Amino acid sequence: MSGRATAAAGALLALRGVSKRFGDKQALSGVDLDVRGGEVHVVCGENGAGKSTLMHIIGGILQPDAGELLIDDVAVKFADPVAASRAGVGMVHQHFRLVASMTVAENLYLNRQPKRFGLFSDRAAMRRGAADLIAGYGFDLEPDAVVGGLSVGQRQRVEILKALGFDARILILDEPTAVLTPGEVGQLLDVVRDLRAKGRAILFITHKLKEALEISDRVTVLRHGRRISTLPTAELSERAIAIDMVGREMSPAKREAQPQGEAGVAPALEARHVVATDARGRRLLDDVSFAIRPGEILGVAGVDGNGQTELSEAAAGLRTIQAGAFAMAGRDVTRLDVRARRRLGLGFIPEDRLDRGVSADMSVAENVSVGAYARRRLANGAGLVSVAARDAYAAEKIREFDVRGAKPSTPIGALSGGNIQKVVIARELDLRPVALVVAQPTRGLDVGAAEFVHRQILSAAERGCGVLLISSELTEIFALSDRIAVMFQGCLVGTLERAAATEEAVGLMMGAGTRAA
Amino acid sequence: MEIAQFLNSALVQTSPLLLCALATLVTSRANMLNVAVEGMALTAAFAAIAVGQTTGSSAMALTGALAASTGMALLFGGVAIGLGADFIVAGLGLNILADGGTLFLLEEVYQDPGGLRPDHFPDLWRVPDGALSFLPVIGGALERQSAITLAALVAVPVMALFLYRTPLGYALRAVGEDEAAAAANGVRAARVKMLSVLLSGVLSGLAGAQLAMDRLHFFLPAMTSGRGFIGLAAALFGAAEPWPTAGAAFVFGLFGALGDRLQAFQAPSEFVLMAPYVAALLALTVARWRAVRRARAAPVSEGGR
Amino acid sequence: MRPLVLPPRLAAAVSLLGPAVAVLVGGFVLVLAISDDPLLAYKDLLFANFYSVANFALFVNRTTPLLFIGLSVILSFRAGVFNVGGEGQLYLGAIAATAAGLACARAPQPLGLIAAAAAGAVVGAIYGFIPGQLKVKLGVNEVVSTLMLNFVAMLLTQYLVTHPLRDPTAYGAVSFMLAPSVWLPEIPCLPGATDGALIALALAPLVWLALYRTTWGADLRAAGANPRFAEAVGIDADRRVLEAMALSGAVAGLAGALYVLGIGHRFEQNFSPGFGLIGLTVALLARLNPFGAILTAAFYALVLNGAAYMQIDTDVPRSLVGLLTGFLVLFMTARGRAAAAPA
Repeated sequence: MSGRATAAAGALLALRGVSKRFGDKQALSGVDLDVRGGEVHVVCGENGAGKSTLMHIIGGILQPDAGELLIDDVAVKFADPVAASRAGVGMVHQHFRLVASMTVAENLYLNRQPKRFGLFSDRAAMRRGAADLIAGYGFDLEPDAVVGGLSVGQRQRVEILKALGFDARILILDEPTAVLTPGEVGQLLDVVRDLRAKGRAILFITHKLKEALEISDRVTVLRHGRRISTLPTAELSERAIAIDMVGREMSPAKREAQPQGEAGVAPALEARHVVATDARGRRLLDDVSFAIRPGEILGVAGVDGNGQTELSEAAAGLRTIQAGAFAMAGRDVTRLDVRARRRLGLGFIPEDRLDRGVSADMSVAENVSVGAYARRRLANGAGLVSVAARDAYAAEKIREFDVRGAKPSTPIGALSGGNIQKVVIARELDLRPVALVVAQPTRGLDVGAAEFVHRQILSAAERGCGVLLISSELTEIFALSDRIAVMFQGCLVGTLERAAATEEAVGLMMGAGTRAA
Repeated sequence: MEIAQFLNSALVQTSPLLLCALATLVTSRANMLNVAVEGMALTAAFAAIAVGQTTGSSAMALTGALAASTGMALLFGGVAIGLGADFIVAGLGLNILADGGTLFLLEEVYQDPGGLRPDHFPDLWRVPDGALSFLPVIGGALERQSAITLAALVAVPVMALFLYRTPLGYALRAVGEDEAAAAANGVRAARVKMLSVLLSGVLSGLAGAQLAMDRLHFFLPAMTSGRGFIGLAAALFGAAEPWPTAGAAFVFGLFGALGDRLQAFQAPSEFVLMAPYVAALLALTVARWRAVRRARAAPVSEGGR
Repeated sequence: MRPLVLPPRLAAAVSLLGPAVAVLVGGFVLVLAISDDPLLAYKDLLFANFYSVANFALFVNRTTPLLFIGLSVILSFRAGVFNVGGEGQLYLGAIAATAAGLACARAPQPLGLIAAAAAGAVVGAIYGFIPGQLKVKLGVNEVVSTLMLNFVAMLLTQYLVTHPLRDPTAYGAVSFMLAPSVWLPEIPCLPGATDGALIALALAPLVWLALYRTTWGADLRAAGANPRFAEAVGIDADRRVLEAMALSGAVAGLAGALYVLGIGHRFEQNFSPGFGLIGLTVALLARLNPFGAILTAAFYALVLNGAAYMQIDTDVPRSLVGLLTGFLVLFMTARGRAAAAPA
């Protein structure tokens, strides 16, 4: 094949023209990629760039619509992960597939145990094999250590060993540092360097630019399903990668720059040095502070997994924080539960509408009326609901928010995603909120519904509501926000005025956690 | 001698409980709450007496019992795992089926809703009198115990071996602990679960057979009297580990034997009988309380990030 | 191919009738196989309850506890709690009413009765509250806790009726007879049928109203169906669940109390032929709808009593119903139709 002459010499794994479509979303278009033995090839991109899809195709979890996979210049097709693993491709996922009560050796040999007398597990053989594997890679693990007692970093190393198996030559790591402490990150990078020295081909996905530059030989940047660039690391800087990741298309602002507003007015929503930790003590939110004026929209960008979910939950009152405070209109609300915060005028549009936004087996009327019974006189003092009043209220909302295909009695599950989101927004905006926490509001919505949602958020701000908009869609952030900040590893990094926000600056914040100089 | 005698009768009481507990345990390890042990054991008890009466052979009776309970297990597993029915509702349904079914057969085939009492019934093989008299205490306790009771005692280490030393045992524990992780490693979860239900059926069958065939030699409607649930309690108390579960079952069996003695002294046996259930509930509560304490977020640490 | 879409009321009726019809048809096939007179057998099964006023009264009496327990189950399941403790709550309510009734023997006419009934409801409420609290605060599995508590309750009442409350002059383990002043009266035009039936019939629409026409009920259903949603909109899910469990226990306790006060007028050991479990079936068959529960409770009472008549007149054993019920409950939630029962 003539194309082979152009393939990189000694490429262990190569992709040519790989495309994949999900519904009407083109996740990947004509992506080329190659990884050589003894190389660490980093793939960078923000949410929706196609990194995970690409990895899933290589790992045999998905099939490409077009294009081909080549191992050692031979075209292959992986029907499932087992086939991929047999061809020497090992994948380390973000969520580990380990059984906590079993030892390292037992996990390594799960479902492929050597047998003794045909009936019993040969634990001695398992132990020996595990010890050999561990020694071969120089890891600091005990075959008999129970996985449940290991640190996250150590567990990840067990996952890596499993992925490497006993003869994997290609290793894929999907955002491996997302769950590690700084010390553990250093150890992981050492392991990766060591594997590289042993001749493995390593594909490393990350959105953290510092890491990318530190560990890689080459960096490929994906954006909107396309390969933007592949360059040797020596020729790259954080700035350069950031620009490629974020791109030059900045969507026009949908709102005019807001005047500063009178001084001395208390912020609609405020966070002061908020810290939230998990059960291990790892900081999910690290000294987060912001102040949103009434009528202002603060857009919080960032790649998923940097604390956005935790921030929205903490602001709404669903997650207790370990330090710091939240305030609404100058009043400290840290100790208040969700109900109390809502009474003070906090609205919340959650990132997963089916999980937290609506109750699936209730009707549209019941969903939109939650919390509105007293305020809108839909029930009497004893709690007896007036169906007529409630349905009239629901009908009014359906009209006002153009909820298609809905009558008050329609079960909410019968509506499309966009219309369900409209019901959620209708409910929350009826609170006439002082502060609104909005997370990923247009995820999974079509263009028309997304437009509508944006208009609602803008008009809420126009009515004086302070909006905390958390989104991994940069175009959305740029269209709606007055100021833009970025979540990176639990920190709220620098805040820019919309006018001052360049792609470079935002990209740097998202990938490096630092402001542009 | 008194102690040996007492242990002897305690062991008779314990063995069906132990088998029911092991039956619950094996499905528990695959993360299924099995309330159908009661029904499977009852079916086996009926089959044991029916087949034993007809064939005059205890071996055939035992075979019949196991076939019946395994058949019920197959039905249960098929509906709950294969057809995706709610495990607990299906389990309760199986118990109702066993109750109604055995009663129906009693009335329809044997024309006696009061029970099935054969005039002659073959006895199980049992440890011969005096064969173990060289062993102090234990010898006396084991004398005249049926083959099934001995099998029940042996089943405990066998279960431990199965769970911790065989590939299927590993697969079962993996499925029970983290089904996604197990599936990601190629373990066929549905098959493993079905196998555990069938194993549970076999063990329940032994429990029912022991109950009907050891001392009683007859079948009464609903004769399992909640032993399946006491076995469940024992398995929960023992956190589905073979030896602690066996210990719990033995303690519950002791209570049963004690209850008989206490009856003689006019003490209310009901409170003694309550003990296993109260103990199980307390054990569960304590276990959950500790789990809740452990899951609380750690305070802010400077080193961790 | 588009699935057949029926108007909602018709669809609900069909899904209610479906399993019931399947049971009856299956039963008929079985009866055909074993009986010399299948037609008479089935005629008795279905209609014997209406042959005489006395039969009908017994049918009404049988429906009563089934409907109560069905409503009790509906309340707890709608709150997301798989409460199988109906039997225990029933027994405790019955014994509490017995004890209170005996104590109030000399109280003026309706007060003693009311006190006894209330005692049953209160004790049932406490017994429902306990597993509810364990679930809410500690996440203790409610199936196990309520099953264990069932046995404790049955043993406790067994002790009480065989010792302190036992009537030594009577045969068997029964309590002292309650004074007529605390008896629950019969339905005026239907001798032998207890007023408890009317109370149960009145309770069904009340339960429906509470669940579907009050803010409390809406909160409860949200807490049961989607607790994360309830949390996000500020519904106090824990409190609703506890209230539901207490109410559920109270209804089951009341069932026991009214049974003792209205039928038999004394506590008999093991008086319940599995009302708890059949009540659960009644609720599930009715897809957790209170009005549906009236129909399914009546259906079960009809069939259970009918089977007894069938057995008297023909050679078909009454346990046929038990057998068919077993299959019914076993298969009822197949095909992932656990939408009615909480996860």
